[in-house]
Amino acid sequence: MGERVKRLTKLGVLTAVSLIIFVIELQIPNPFPIPGIKLGLANIITVYAVYHYKAHEAAAVVTVRLLLGAVFSGNFMALLYSASGAFLCLIGMLLLRRVIDEKHLWTASVFGAVLHNTGQMAAALLVTRTVQLLLYYPFLIVSGCLAGAFTGLCAQLVTARLKGWKRKK
Amino acid sequence: MKNKVFIMMIAVIFIAGIIGSVIVLTAPQKSTVRIVSDGTVVDTVDLRTAQDRTFDVTYEGHVNTVEIKDHRIRIKDADCPDRTCVNMGWLSSASMPIVCLPHRLVIEFTDGADVDAVTR
Repeated sequence: MGERVKRLTKLGVLTAVSLIIFVIELQIPNPFPIPGIKLGLANIITVYAVYHYKAHEAAAVVTVRLLLGAVFSGNFMALLYSASGAFLCLIGMLLLRRVIDEKHLWTASVFGAVLHNTGQMAAALLVTRTVQLLLYYPFLIVSGCLAGAFTGLCAQLVTARLKGWKRKK
Repeated sequence: MKNKVFIMMIAVIFIAGIIGSVIVLTAPQKSTVRIVSDGTVVDTVDLRTAQDRTFDVTYEGHVNTVEIKDHRIRIKDADCPDRTCVNMGWLSSASMPIVCLPHRLVIEFTDGADVDAVTR
């Protein structure tokens, strides 16, 4: 089996795992009724992919996850917000990956989460043209920091567990 | 060393978020106030940017003195018999407007959509 096929397969598995996490998280009731606040467990895979794959590969995983996630949740309106958040987060983390080493992955994850919330907020402001939405922004920042730290730490655990997976190639 | 800088940045962002949340939670959710006299909007004030001032709203010869101070608004004085509106104090809740029934005066928080409608 060629190296490219192996890589493609691994990316496919990563996408599937993040999609499964996403769908499971949908089933967990959200205790915070503010739009845009959630744990975002699927981003564990995003963070992992950013640190272990090339930029375009990580982008592919995120894009497919977003599209299929919209299909599975049936919420295409949310796609606009989640996509603008996810891509801003992705760009930011791809830049941060140059300056933050893997041991401090969680800090990159926090920045990613805050960028995600910022992208969401920007999209929501553009779509609704309601400035009052900015009142939610501080809450999004706080939740983004907490959720980002959590998913980042999870990604560090995943990294530790997947060391063998990486090495076998 | 570099990582400490990033952790410091996160701490600053996080604390800023918490401070912002506290400000949003403690401040009145809406900042635009509408003054309605006898069913017509006579003035719309954005308390965030409003200068401190005192002005009279007259209805059929009766006068209510409205005071805006420190981004708050109240009816300071009224020549009605019960002066309920004066006793209501500063407007603090979006769900409880200041009302002077005899003079048909209402001061209430209004949401941005209404302001848009007025300015449009």
